[in-house]
Amino acid sequence: MVFVIRRVLQSLLVVLVMSLVVFVGVHVVGDPVHILISDDMTQAEIDRFIAKLGLDRPVHVQYLHFLANAARGDLGDSFVHGEPALKLILERMPATLELALAAFLLAIVVGIPLGMYAGLRPESPASHAIMAGSILGFSLPTFWVGLMLIMVFAVMLGWLPSTGRGDFLTWDGLRHLALPAINLALFKMALVTRLARAGTREAALQDYVKFARAKGLSPSRVVLVHVLRNILIPVVTVLGLELGGLIAFSVVTETVFAWPGMGKLLIDSIQRLDRPVVVAYLVITVVMFVVINLIVDLLYAALDPRVRLREAKA
Amino acid sequence: MSARVETAAIAVPAPETPLRRLAAEFFASPLALGSFALLVLIILFALLAPLLAPQNPYDLAKVTVMDARLEPGERGSAGFVMWLGADGAGRDMWSAILYGLRISLGVGIASGIVALILGTAIGLAAAYRGGWLDALIMRIVDLQLSFPAILVALILVAILGRGADKVMIALILVQWAYYARTVRGSALVERRKEYIEAAHCLALPPSRIVFRHLLPNVVAPMIVVGTLQTAHAISLEATLSFLGVGLPLTEPSLGLLIANGFEYMLSGRYWISFYPGVALLVTIMSINLVGDRLRDVLNPRLER
Repeated sequence: MVFVIRRVLQSLLVVLVMSLVVFVGVHVVGDPVHILISDDMTQAEIDRFIAKLGLDRPVHVQYLHFLANAARGDLGDSFVHGEPALKLILERMPATLELALAAFLLAIVVGIPLGMYAGLRPESPASHAIMAGSILGFSLPTFWVGLMLIMVFAVMLGWLPSTGRGDFLTWDGLRHLALPAINLALFKMALVTRLARAGTREAALQDYVKFARAKGLSPSRVVLVHVLRNILIPVVTVLGLELGGLIAFSVVTETVFAWPGMGKLLIDSIQRLDRPVVVAYLVITVVMFVVINLIVDLLYAALDPRVRLREAKA
Repeated sequence: MSARVETAAIAVPAPETPLRRLAAEFFASPLALGSFALLVLIILFALLAPLLAPQNPYDLAKVTVMDARLEPGERGSAGFVMWLGADGAGRDMWSAILYGLRISLGVGIASGIVALILGTAIGLAAAYRGGWLDALIMRIVDLQLSFPAILVALILVAILGRGADKVMIALILVQWAYYARTVRGSALVERRKEYIEAAHCLALPPSRIVFRHLLPNVVAPMIVVGTLQTAHAISLEATLSFLGVGLPLTEPSLGLLIANGFEYMLSGRYWISFYPGVALLVTIMSINLVGDRLRDVLNPRLER
């Protein structure tokens, strides 16, 4: 219990620190007055405007004001859309989550079998090809792979649509989802393949696998039950931590495929200097990150008592 | 007569210095040799771009819209063959790639070097001083590294605004933490060794211990992280430029070239995006392969 409270407090601290960084960055380094005020305003109008935004008050008062508003879910209105920034972000969130989860599943479903194969037969040519492919998966810039996917599957072959999003879980929706999900999954797929391969090589030498073999179980049962179950825990733990990375990286994929998610909104907002939306995106993403890390940490501690004990001692 | 034979016999085996031994080991792998040669070639291309390029793609007098979207292998109006085609404004893609490579490599390497110096200084300070300074620095490093690089870069670009200098600052701030963590880690190991203890016993000043004794012994991991981080920085800059929040249009890096070709791709004119992407990919891959090999060679503990 002490461990849980400690971790929750640490997470809150991280959120506070990040809110300070974002606030100082956006409100102090960049001057919001400069962006909001047009050149033909009179000095009286400018003063009124500054007072309205609270920019005449000391910085720490402004920060507390920002925190109080943020706690109530008020992160300001978008300059471009005229709607609350938080609402805009939340409207786009399902699209991003759909994409991230699809990529997550794809990375597991493709990466684990490939990695297990490479782990069981480390010297076969196919395994070498798989490992070379995973290096490529790490090195290829995501946005360029996205372009190549569009070029091959949408332009040359005409199999799949290149941009936009269909309805959730319809044939059309899945067709639209396919290319962006593959694009976003590629990097994590390479990671899962490597983890699964390392795990399989290690598990294959363990006594319980030898024992299962000695018992005369079929090779497929040994691999699919005894090995798979034991490599699943580390792979899923690492992937859980990477879920936040998928959401952050979806910025790139969403821009390439014009996928109407949070990431595309962020890029549009940065380009149009729509600061409230940028701040709202950053706040939400940071909170999401911290929550994901917290959940994975707690789950990990629940599964592995050694972590709990070490933390309690520290 | 006999003296001559003797000198010849001595001259054959070159004196073995650590550098020679490492180089021999490095080039023992054909893959490493190939990627190193490729990397040297790429850097030469970037350095000599104005001499090698058939046209200056940003000299408006040399570029004509007549050549717009020429296919690879067609002859442009200036008389030379555009082997990689032309972009929407009639620029020869090969020339644009050479100039873009210059900017991509320049930004990546320059920000890498500054981040290396900054991160090394901070990492050494943390390891040597220890105590609250170490704890504070490592907390900041851990916090930053818990977020993906692309997110940190986007936050910084959103805060700092656009421009080549801003992108460089963002890249430096993204990278310093990797160097600081690596250097601190290896400096902590070295600090416990006897030669540092001996230096302390000789009452050498701390600056001498840090720079003359500690620093040379943490150079190996720094080189490895430096190579891999440079590849990372080039990729990150290309991504930011592609997203339209990186380098300005006046400094077209490979990422921007790829972004420019995007609109033409949907109508089947693949070459405007495809070839700059290949150049970017080959660059990143060759740096990564060289870095991997360096890690193998410089790490004596690693089993091979």
